[in-house]
Order: sequence, then C-alpha cells, then structure tokens
Amino acid sequence: MSHKRFYYRLIPVVFLLIALAIWQQADFFQRAAGIHLPKGVTPEFKQVLKIDKPCVDLHPEWRLAQNIDGVKMAESRLCEPDNPYDIAAFVLGMNNISMPTLMSTHIAEDALIKSDDLDGDGDPDIIHIKLEVLELNGATPDSPSVFPQYEIAPGIMPGMWAFSPKLRGMSVKNFRSQKPNAILRAPSPVIRVEQGDKVYITLENTHYFPHTIHFHGVDHAFKTSKGGDNDGVPVTGEKAVMPGKTRTYELQPRHAGTMLYHCHVQTDKHLMMGLVGMFVVEENRPDNWVQTFNVGAGHVRYSSAAIKEKYQREYDLHYQSIDKNLAKTIQQSNDTREISKQMHRVYNMSESNENYFLLNGHSFPYTLRDALIIAKPDENIKLRVANTQHSSIAVHIHGHKATITDYDGVEQNPMAQITRDVFHLAAAQRLDLNLQTTNDGLHSYGEGVWLFHDHVETAVANDGMSPGGNIALMVYENMLTEMGLPELRSDALDDLFSNRYYAKKQVLWGKKEAGTFAPNTLQLILFGLLLGIIVGLIFFIGRGLMRAD
Amino acid sequence: MKAFTLLFFISLPLFAGMNHGGMIMDDSGMIMNHNPDVLPKDCPKISKDVDITIHAGHQYTKGFAGKMFTYDKRDWQVPGCARVNVTFINEDDIRHQFMIHGLPGYMYPKGMFTIEIYGKGQKTASFIVPSRDYTYYIHCEVSQHTEKGMKAQLKVGEGSGDLDSILGLTAALTPDIYPINNTQITWVSLLISFVVGVVFILYLGNILRIKLS
Ligand SMILES: [Cu+2]
Ligand SMILES: [Cu+2]
Repeated sequence: MSHKRFYYRLIPVVFLLIALAIWQQADFFQRAAGIHLPKGVTPEFKQVLKIDKPCVDLHPEWRLAQNIDGVKMAESRLCEPDNPYDIAAFVLGMNNISMPTLMSTHIAEDALIKSDDLDGDGDPDIIHIKLEVLELNGATPDSPSVFPQYEIAPGIMPGMWAFSPKLRGMSVKNFRSQKPNAILRAPSPVIRVEQGDKVYITLENTHYFPHTIHFHGVDHAFKTSKGGDNDGVPVTGEKAVMPGKTRTYELQPRHAGTMLYHCHVQTDKHLMMGLVGMFVVEENRPDNWVQTFNVGAGHVRYSSAAIKEKYQREYDLHYQSIDKNLAKTIQQSNDTREISKQMHRVYNMSESNENYFLLNGHSFPYTLRDALIIAKPDENIKLRVANTQHSSIAVHIHGHKATITDYDGVEQNPMAQITRDVFHLAAAQRLDLNLQTTNDGLHSYGEGVWLFHDHVETAVANDGMSPGGNIALMVYENMLTEMGLPELRSDALDDLFSNRYYAKKQVLWGKKEAGTFAPNTLQLILFGLLLGIIVGLIFFIGRGLMRAD
Repeated sequence: MKAFTLLFFISLPLFAGMNHGGMIMDDSGMIMNHNPDVLPKDCPKISKDVDITIHAGHQYTKGFAGKMFTYDKRDWQVPGCARVNVTFINEDDIRHQFMIHGLPGYMYPKGMFTIEIYGKGQKTASFIVPSRDYTYYIHCEVSQHTEKGMKAQLKVGEGSGDLDSILGLTAALTPDIYPINNTQITWVSLLISFVVGVVFILYLGNILRIKLS
C-alpha cells in the first residue's frame, strides 16, 4: 500500500517536467534573432549554371545589304537579322526564285505563289499564301522537357502556338538540336499584301486542335466567292478547320493600313497562345513587290514603295503576353483529350494573369538580339505597333516623341495628328508612328542607346523578375557594335544572360541572402533528455502501480 | 546695434553660419541646441569635460550582416553633469544625424540636441547632461536609418538600462524570425538524448525499487 502512495506522489513530478519541457522546448523550425542576425548564405542552385552569349553571331554575312535574285534589300545590323534568302522568297514568291535561294530557305515550294499582273503596273496581283499552325515548347512523350525548345528569355520556355508560312524539312536547327529553326518562332508572322491584290490564304491545319483565321480590320467579304466561310467564326460561319484539313479564305482589300489576323476558335485561349499576327495592307503603287512575310516581326528589310517614299526604315512591333498557367496546359500531357480538357475547361481565362510579355516573340534580354530599333539622326522611321495582349500597353520610347499617323489602319487627318511620348493601345489596337530622329529637343534628344518599353510596369519583368518583358532598345548606329549589340557598360548584361537570374536565384546587389540559423545542439540535447525522463518516469510509475496491485 | 552684431559674432566663433533660436546652419549641415555653458538646474558645476568622436556611415555595418547604416560606436557612458563635446563625422556622401533625445526641455527645446551633416564632413558641438542616472536615446532619423542600424545610447551615471536593437549590444524588441537549418545531426542528437533520458530514469528506478523492496 505504501508503495502505491510513493508512485502516486511521483505523478505531479511528471506534470512538472512536462511544464518544464514546454517552457524549454527547442525552437525546432525557426528562431527569433538575438543580438546577431544569421551570417547569410549564398543560395544553392540545382540546375547547372548556364550563361548565354548576348549574341551568338551565327550569320554575320546576313547583315549586309544585298541583292538576291534581283531583290535589293536593306542591311539589317541586328545580332539576329532575318535570313536574306527568306526575304527574297517572300518578296518574289516561291514560284519566282532561283533554286539556290529555295535551297537556302525552309519554306515549302507552294507556301507563297505570286502571279498575274492584273492591272499591268509591274507587280503580281494574285497571291496564294499557305499557313500552318506550329507549337513551341509543347509536351513530348520522349523527354521530361518540352519540344521544340524555344526560349523567350534565358531558361524561359512557355508553351506557345504560332501561325507560320508553310514549311518544309526539319523543324529543328539540325538533327542533334532541340531548338527550332529560325522560321519556327513567335509571334505569328506579319503578312503584307498590296491594296487591291487578290489574296487567297489557305489554313493548312497541321495542329492537333481545330482552328480558323479571322481577318481583323482587313477588308474581306463575309463569304468566299463559292459561298464558303470567310470570317473564321465557327458560330456564324462553317465549323472550325479540323486537324489535317484545310480551308482557303479570300480577300481583296480596298483599304490600306495595319491590321490583324487571328484564330477565332476558343478565341480567348487560342489568341493568347499566339495564334494572332499583324496583317499589313500596303498602298497600291506601280512595280510594288511587297515582303509578304515578316517572320518574327521587327525590322522590315524590304519595305513597300509607298513606305520608301516617306520613311528611311520600317519596324513591325508586335506586343504579346502569356499566362504561364495557360502555357502549362500543353506541357503536361500528350493525350490531346486531356490537353483539350486542361486548356478549354479546367483553365479559366477569367482568373488569368499575364506573366510573360514579349516584343516580337522575345522577352528582354533576348529582345536585344532581334527587336532593336536601329536609327541614324534626321530620319523618319515607320513603326507599326500592335497590341495582342489582353491588357493595355503604354509604349514609351526614351529620348523621343513620335507622331501618331494612323489609328487601327486609318490615317489621322495630318492637321490633327498628335505627337507624344506614351502610346496607349487597348487590346487588338494598332498605331502607326512616325519616329523622327531630328535632334530638336522635341522629336529626339540626340543619339544614344535609348530604352523603349511598355510603361505598364508588370510588362517589364519576366514573371515578375525585372528587367525583362517587352523592354527593348532604340540604338543609334554610332553606338552599335559590329555584332549588332548596343555599346553598354562591360558588366551591364553579366547576370541577365544566366539561367539563374530569371529563376530568381541570383542575389541582387550582393552575394548573400539572410538564410538560416544553425540548430542549438545543447538545447536540443537537454530537451531530448527531458522528454526521455518524462517518458521513462511515466513508464516507471505505470509499471510500479501495476505491480503494487 | 553695433553691440548686438558684435555679440552675435562672438557667440558663434566656430560656425560661419546663422543662429535661429538654437539652430546653427550652414551649407554643410546644422547644429541644434548647442550648449557649452548653461548648467542644468540640478548641476552646481560641470563635473567633467568629455570629448567623444562618433563616425557615421555605411562602412561601419561591416560585421553586421543585413544592416545598412550605423555609427562606429553605439554605447557611451559619461558622469552626471558632464559637458559632452561631440565631434560627429559623416563618412558617407549622404545626410546623417547625431540626434539625442530626453534632455531637459527647459534648456533643450523638445529635449533634443542634434548635429546633422549633409554629406561627407564633420562638426563639433556640446551639450551638458543633468545629474540623474539615465540612458539617452541617440539615432539618425533620416528615413529608415534608425531601423537599419543607426541607433546608439548614452548612459549618464549608471544609466537606466539598455535600449533595444542596438547593433552588437541588444536584441530587437520585435526580432525577425529565421528558419533553422535542421540536419540529420539534429534529429539523431534529439533521439540519442531521448533514449539516454529514458534509460537514465529506468536505471534510477531500478535502484529505487531495490531499495524499496
Ligand atoms: Cu485556334
Ligand atoms: Cu543617417
């Protein structure tokens, strides 16, 4: 009996020890700083550090002004200029180029046929165009990564779509490469035709989902001459063009200007995926061969006759945004039923964000390679700006004020034209600008490396990591290197071309981040001992009481 | 008039500036409530002349990771009724202050004495402390400078305890919380000490039980 009382007396000791343990409990997972803060750590990065060259300089010879099959094209001093053989093919049509030129392109022979000078003014008036639908950074059952790997910025590969001129041959750079060749890229190419041309555009649906083409602002009849769908809207016209099928749309635009074309199937998603491009109708002039495609938009190496009358250079600026969650829907399965479900039913556009912002298919710093505006003093530069994002853009060019000459492809009365330094474009709007480089304190403040970017600040970052997004540069020729890059401080681009920076692993303005505290081992041991004593004591009391009975 | 002008210049032999009600200003900075001679009520005379030199700047945060601005020394002690002659040296190209609070309001308006320097440079000025034991709060109150390290204390006599969040001296009142970098060693040492605890108590119990029976 007395034994039992001894064990009962030990019970309060257990409670006392538990209280002590709670009071003394070790800070297992976090601890408040005392006098000293943690020493700091350099963040670890699991991926191999990869630093791109700002310019790979694959084809320096492409930069020169040249004459291919009689097509005299302007020089293009960009790091990545357009392939001049492509330009010749796009100006003449695949039916009018030489065999060596054809062999230097990746374009199918029936992609662009130009014929019949109907009005006898020296240029072809019947234009047959064939478009395909390509996918960038899609899922592949053969690798955990994506294919083909199209980086919009270092290490960033969101799933995207684009229209493209009908291609031939390999889609990758070479048989070892995972990267698409230069034609397979975002955005959908700018299409240029001449006012009054009879244009036949055939959508060859090479993709695994149905699509159509709708011509936005481009003069076209509601139905084709044969009574077929000509507006691209499945609700009002024919059903969408199914995978493996084709449809031809007919246009004979009477009005010139900067317009758009886009897919009208599940438009919210398909447009944001990239099935939207600029469509430019050039004014009718004699002997006016136009560059039918401007792949990747940007510098127009062969401007139309009407543009050459007034301008020294011409650039197409296609602004585009991506929701990373929408982009992901094509990267997680190779079952088209599942992709369709994820994209069209699970993903909800009304809850979307825009995470990536592209100018001409790239985000900064890759915009340095092909989206520069290159200028000389005392020039008039034609900028055609299109906003295909769902948010508005407010483009600002440092050091310059440009004049808005056209709104949505309609010329503004010259007396009422506005010169300003922020250009606002709501979704799908286009502006034509005359960027004058006269150093008069109004139109230009002189030569330099001037940033130009959307001033909606979400858009100057890559998924929130700045600088990125649609930032690009306007560079005067005297500050441009041989390789087509701007003259910058030697370390200006060091961090930006590494895959670490946009993965948000690079510490800014220092080497270390706060990091963690080391565990307090003595406290841990004392706490462990205390717990052991409590458990041992409970066991001891329990066993003692049972035996005492 | 002449006498007044003379007095004005005599009272400012060191500062080629202007004095507006306790404020001495020039284009390099400002001194507020400079007081080399007026004694606090409770001090019959100056007990001691104490010269202190305080450097301010980003460079002194070396060794204090995560902070941005501080003084080279952040803890001072003087006897009651001392005259403190502060030479304040700003090592940065931006503005910093040496601002002390809690002095008697009847002789230091708002209880403050301040030296502010607009960029790199130095200034000297004085104040006389009362006799009681007290810890005075010193800081630079350029936006966020106090919070990011530029804070110090002056103890008169024995002082009245330490202030919070003085670099290298006291912890913050609202400290930042950091994660603990737990490793396998953490869990192994916890387990071992636990087992040792259990074994220890059972061993002790066995001895006890033998004694009891
Ligand atoms: Cu579509
Ligand atoms: Cu300060």
